[in-house]
Amino acid sequence: MFKKGQSATAYLFLAPFLITTLVFFFYAFGRAIYYSFTDFNLFNTPHLIGLKPYVDVLGDSLFRRALANTLVFAVIVTTLQTILSLLMAVALNNKIKGMGFFRSAWYMPSITSSVVITLIFLWLFQRRGVANYVITQLQMYQPYILTVMGVLIVVQIVQVLFERSRQMPAGWFDPALAAVSALIAVAVTVVLAFMGILQARDVPPFDFQYFADVWLSIGGVQVLSIPLLVIIIQNTFTTIPTLMLFFLAGLQNIPGTLYEAADIDGATPFEKLMNVTVPMLRPVTFYVITVGLIGTMQMFDQVAVIGAAAPQSTLITLAYYVYINTFKAGTAPVNMAAAGAIILALIILVMVFIQRRFFPSEASV
Amino acid sequence: MRNQLMLGLLLLAAASTQAAAQTTIKINGYAGQDPAIVGDLINRFVKPALAKDKINVTYEPLQGDYNQQLTTLLAAGNAGDVFYLPAETLDGFVATGKILPLNGVVQTGPYIKSLNTAFTRGGKVYAIAKDFNTLAVEYNKDLFDEAKVPYPSNTDTWTSLQTKLTNVKKALGNDYSGICLAPDYARMGQFAFAAGWKPFDSKGKTNLLDPAFVRAFNYFTGLAKNKVGIQPSEISQDWSGGCLGTGKVAVAIEGNWIVGFLKDNAPNLKYGSALIPKDDKTGKRGNFVYTVGWAINAGTKNKAAATKVLNILTSPQVQQYVLEQGLAIPSRTSLSNNAFLKKTDAGAANSKAIFDGAADGVVRPYYFGTQGPDWIKPINTALAAVLSGQKSSADALKQAQAEMNTFQNR
Repeated sequence: MFKKGQSATAYLFLAPFLITTLVFFFYAFGRAIYYSFTDFNLFNTPHLIGLKPYVDVLGDSLFRRALANTLVFAVIVTTLQTILSLLMAVALNNKIKGMGFFRSAWYMPSITSSVVITLIFLWLFQRRGVANYVITQLQMYQPYILTVMGVLIVVQIVQVLFERSRQMPAGWFDPALAAVSALIAVAVTVVLAFMGILQARDVPPFDFQYFADVWLSIGGVQVLSIPLLVIIIQNTFTTIPTLMLFFLAGLQNIPGTLYEAADIDGATPFEKLMNVTVPMLRPVTFYVITVGLIGTMQMFDQVAVIGAAAPQSTLITLAYYVYINTFKAGTAPVNMAAAGAIILALIILVMVFIQRRFFPSEASV
Repeated sequence: MRNQLMLGLLLLAAASTQAAAQTTIKINGYAGQDPAIVGDLINRFVKPALAKDKINVTYEPLQGDYNQQLTTLLAAGNAGDVFYLPAETLDGFVATGKILPLNGVVQTGPYIKSLNTAFTRGGKVYAIAKDFNTLAVEYNKDLFDEAKVPYPSNTDTWTSLQTKLTNVKKALGNDYSGICLAPDYARMGQFAFAAGWKPFDSKGKTNLLDPAFVRAFNYFTGLAKNKVGIQPSEISQDWSGGCLGTGKVAVAIEGNWIVGFLKDNAPNLKYGSALIPKDDKTGKRGNFVYTVGWAINAGTKNKAAATKVLNILTSPQVQQYVLEQGLAIPSRTSLSNNAFLKKTDAGAANSKAIFDGAADGVVRPYYFGTQGPDWIKPINTALAAVLSGQKSSADALKQAQAEMNTFQNR
């Protein structure tokens, strides 16, 4: 492959990457495996003690909580972000005026630091944060909102029935009629408000604590905590745009003739999505799911930023478990942290293997 | 020209040998206000005293979580020669073998005994208390005046204080609160000590279902009833001192650290300080003593110089200066009669209440036990759950005890 002397040059150029990989991956990985079988506490000389750290880790209820949280988080976020980013890519693949603006605007969350976004979310979901404020406002102005909605629906029904009585083909969601209905609804609400019939309700501020020890349970088993749900929303929000980019690139490679053929066969947009776009994007989807799973299984930064603002058990993930067991005050159970890290690596390996086994990526085309 | 060059070289050589003879002692401590304070002490006291010994002293604050940072530095062998050592995490650091036992190195006699005890393990003293703090009731005088309720006083009991808070709330209405209650063992445990609870039994286990603990827990969380007490988060504050600073909350239970905060953030707030109220049943007060010590790195290459620096930083002159600047409460017994503590301004009155708090009733060090800071988490979670009304006290404590058992059986 190389001429004489060329391979040395190649290795020279590769050296920076090879050396960092050797030191920070292979050497570190080897050390972690070694520590996971010793009694290392950061300050002593490690002695091999066999599988005890693994037994300790598996017997630690905090580790089991971290494992459950991580799996729940990975499954939900990967599913949500894959589906939503695909839909977003399809939406942004249309030829609309100002598409460049939308594409860059929607990409913004991905290039913003996750620490910054986490802090913003922490503020949004404070007890006196924007989320609770919006809910309070909605409750206060509920009479107005219900009036608008009610009048709109009634007027729409009346209009459609009227049109149909004149033998016109009017659908229930006919946009032209809906616009008229909306105008009438707003007008009625304004009139009622001026007459003093409609008034804002006096409600106490909505006071929900998002970062508290509250769980969604299934059959008495705590499955998902509210603080983790906030992180799920945040993480999905920030990762969608990156994945959307992959899908957008994939969409460019789907021949337009397939859609034309589908049009001729009379396919609806939904059928085109399910029967043309999704199968054609299969290799991209495989990649997106793999990247998503690995990324979510290793989620750490959001939990670290929220830190003590939420009870530990509601947020702890495997990566965070490894971290808190390494950096404590003085001696620390580094052997348990290493064992936890190895278990995390094994789980990711198994997940990717299963995915490769059952969802082959090269099935398409 | 040539001679000048030779002279210059000679001078340079002389300067470099002098620099080589210079010993540098590195001190690690907290960030925040400490770099300014310790820097001032170093310039005022340490450097003049050590100039002839050719000892230079530098202060390097550790940003972020101090315990984690110090752990990393100690493990890597880069920690300072002298550093702060918090009493609550002493065990973990002693276990590293990197803390120099001070027996026979430093005289411990002149320091308050309970503070020495806080830094003693197995008969060895590992640090000298830099200063200390306890808790006191800090109250907003204007709010009590406006509500026509008598100020909290040193004779208050749990019930009489609660009555005063309830009356303030009743008189001032919705925009005001009686007290800010942070869901934190560090602000609630003193009531449990007063009720007779011991954090660790003879086997080192913690019982949160002990009737004494339950009674104190219920008193503390009961203060939140009818919005008499609120959590700092409810008014967008992150500690109860911040609540007091808003002028909308009548009482905060905090330490001497609140003085500097109020001076900077609420300079016009008129406040007073009283001792923590007594438990009606036992007739005793409880209190925490928070302390940070000066320790010496066992791996230091300049043990003699480090010892000199430590001795100056804990000397009577330095402690008197720190006290009179209103920065901290001294750890030397000889300063308990200092004129500063008899002054009547709010800051000095606070120092007096904090100083007296250390010797009145059941006073225990703020301490997590041998397993480190995670020990308080079950308690804090239970406090948060009850204060925000998500759980009943009985349920929350039952869960906390279960978590505590798992933690302590690790």
